Amino acid sequence: MTRSRAALLALAAVWAVAAWLLWRTSVPAALHLPHLDEHSLFPPDVLHRAQHYSAVQRLFWLGTTITQLVVLGLFARYGVRWTRESAAGPIGTGMLLGMIGFALVWAAELPFSVLEVWWRHRYGLSGSYVQATVGNWFALGAQFVVLCVALAIVMGLARVRWIGDRWWMPAAPVFVGLRILLAFVSPWLLGGSSFHAPYVARLQRIERVHVPVRVLNGFAEPNAFATGLGPSRRVFLWKPIVDPPFTPRMDRFVVGHELGHLAHDHIWKSIGWYALFAFPLAFVLAVATRRRGGMGVPEAIPLAIFVYVVLLLVELPLQNVVTRRLEAEADWSALRATHDPVAGRQLFRLFASETLEDPSPPGWDYVFLQNHPTLMQRIEMTEAYAATASMRPRRPRSTATAGPAAARPVGRVG
Amino acid sequence: MPYECHMHEPHPVRLVVGDDYRRSRLTVFFRLLLAIPHYIWFFLWTLLIVVTAIVNWLISIFTGKPPGGLHRLMCSYVRYQAHLSAYLALVGNPYPGFSGEAGEYPIDVRLPEEPVAQRRWTILIRILLAIPALIVSAAMAGSTGGNASFSGNSGRRTRGFNGGGALLFVCAVLGWFASLARGRMPKGLRDAGAYAIGYSAQASAYLLLVTDRYPNADPTEMLVAVTDRPPRHPVRVVGDPYDLRRSRLTVFFRFLLSIPHLIWLTLWGILSVLAAIAQWFVTLFRGRPAAGLHRFLAAYVRYRLHVYAYLMLVANPFPGFTGTAGIYPLDLEVGGPERQNRWKTGFRIVLGIPAILVNAALSGALFASAVLTWFYALVKGSAPWGLRNLSAYTLRYDAQTEAYLLLLTDAYPHASPLEGENTPAE
Repeated sequence: MTRSRAALLALAAVWAVAAWLLWRTSVPAALHLPHLDEHSLFPPDVLHRAQHYSAVQRLFWLGTTITQLVVLGLFARYGVRWTRESAAGPIGTGMLLGMIGFALVWAAELPFSVLEVWWRHRYGLSGSYVQATVGNWFALGAQFVVLCVALAIVMGLARVRWIGDRWWMPAAPVFVGLRILLAFVSPWLLGGSSFHAPYVARLQRIERVHVPVRVLNGFAEPNAFATGLGPSRRVFLWKPIVDPPFTPRMDRFVVGHELGHLAHDHIWKSIGWYALFAFPLAFVLAVATRRRGGMGVPEAIPLAIFVYVVLLLVELPLQNVVTRRLEAEADWSALRATHDPVAGRQLFRLFASETLEDPSPPGWDYVFLQNHPTLMQRIEMTEAYAATASMRPRRPRSTATAGPAAARPVGRVG
Repeated sequence: MPYECHMHEPHPVRLVVGDDYRRSRLTVFFRLLLAIPHYIWFFLWTLLIVVTAIVNWLISIFTGKPPGGLHRLMCSYVRYQAHLSAYLALVGNPYPGFSGEAGEYPIDVRLPEEPVAQRRWTILIRILLAIPALIVSAAMAGSTGGNASFSGNSGRRTRGFNGGGALLFVCAVLGWFASLARGRMPKGLRDAGAYAIGYSAQASAYLLLVTDRYPNADPTEMLVAVTDRPPRHPVRVVGDPYDLRRSRLTVFFRFLLSIPHLIWLTLWGILSVLAAIAQWFVTLFRGRPAAGLHRFLAAYVRYRLHVYAYLMLVANPFPGFTGTAGIYPLDLEVGGPERQNRWKTGFRIVLGIPAILVNAALSGALFASAVLTWFYALVKGSAPWGLRNLSAYTLRYDAQTEAYLLLLTDAYPHASPLEGENTPAE
């Protein structure tokens, strides 16, 4: 066995051990999710609307993805010609090529963005044509900045003589470091107003996570998320989720879910998974661009972007497996903290009517697009919890703020 | 940016400058009040022109040529507008006549004596075609063909359609103080004002069917035959003015593509301010800037020029991030660290205020030029000659101002749209 092969095996072993450590979950391995019939849980009209809406949304995703691949494929083939539009030296020229590639994708995807808004409007969902066009324009500017920073790092390392094609080794840790920095800083940049509810302190005690819970305005859909590291940890609720039709019981479940993310170190685990994927991804990128001179020369950038996007697409199902597992653990954590599977069930049922999420999407959709368990899986988990706890779904012990859990729409809690 | 005029047929509306810079302090001090009769007269004349311009337009659509009498009326109006603007903005000294006679005022415009045949479709949509020129004109002189640069007796510009004119206004305000102090109008301000008036006259003449030749914003073509070049400045913009090709794709995304540069420029700018403070102390005590800081600041000013040239479509290629000399089509030449006057160094910020004001005024013209160039370049794949050179002039002034403020030189920025002499002044 050669030394390099041994090193590769050792690295693979380290990777596998790290993945195993990250894969562990507090959801009981023996938990059996009962099979429920979606028709018994959702009214037929709600089910039909959600399925029809999601079916076309899937087509949009397919169209966007294919367009993206075609445009970037052509760009990989012909994009080098734009080097003549630069007087910026190799790294600057690489940045320009990268930005042009993204710009072309943006332009090609524009019709889909507009169509998507039109489709959302047809179903009474929020959506802005201005946001889909002009708003995306500014989002593209932000992408450019991120892209330029990334290319400056990669190309800068690749141009160091003693690093060369091995740029991926130092680059991956740099990107992981940036990811950590971003995760640490971003909660302070988001702002929001404090969310005060009597159950928050109790949930924080149960989850042993004492972090601020804040409400973000300016969103039309119900949602929530947890972010931050150490002292910057926060739970953010999008305003619609704390307003009717959502009830305090549902909100309690949502907060329990988000605190569950923090209690089980999901932000760190996400960074860990990111690191595990970053190394092989960067390595493949280095190999793929070698024929074009490697990542140190601008001529390789169009191909690199194409390869990168393809790799992300290939990696997407794996990422979704990971995030679904983390979300399932957060759901489980919320159930244990609130002892309120009824609220959870009603919350998830509301998703179907409010956000028109398909409760049980087709297989390929599940693989590529679902980074959360499906609504049916989530409802089934509430049933499993109720069965495991040997109890019927009952009212929560804390009733001070718990109103009637009317079936009202909810966003996608994640 | 040393180049000769773009060789083609001269524009039929030509600026004439016979001014000797001398100003009467008394008439300068009371200038806005002395012009009161002209405001009234100009207002009445404008009413007449609005009506007759419509008649002129209708007749010309059918005949393909304006009637002789109306043509002469329009010419007189354009000239009168130029004379009055020049008087108000201190670009000219004597009190102007009321009739817009040719050759009666030192700042004059030469117009076609006889009406010329024009393409009917351009006459039909003349007001639409004139919009870009009117925008540039408004940014420079505040004139939109039918209005004068100033309307009030306090120097305030007219509002509504006539919304710009920052350059001429700033030249007038600064020139007022300078003329009162020295009895002379500074050449740079005079030339900048004359240029703005000349372009405004071309725009007016185009709108009023005096000519069908589109206004040409090239400062050199406007001024090189009628006034002297300013002395050579130690901070010069060099490059190929004929490099007009523009990539449509990068033009379309130009602002977004510039964002990384703008962020980098901001960060570098913060460091440059700190470096300039250090340089200020060094220059004040030694009488000469530190070489290392000088190089650092020169690279910053050059980089700033590159970025703005790219963002404002004055140049085509994506610039580098280092401000290296000699790699960009529009580049900056900066001399080495020379001895500087300590008084000028000590009061640099205060002394720089007039230049900052002119620079701010020029930035309006630069922005208007960039927006128009954006549309033009998307269609034609090239930048318009005149606007490109107008933008290069504004960038040159910006670089000279920045260089002055950052102590790269103690030579004051020259507002003249003309490039300085090629040989150093004695």
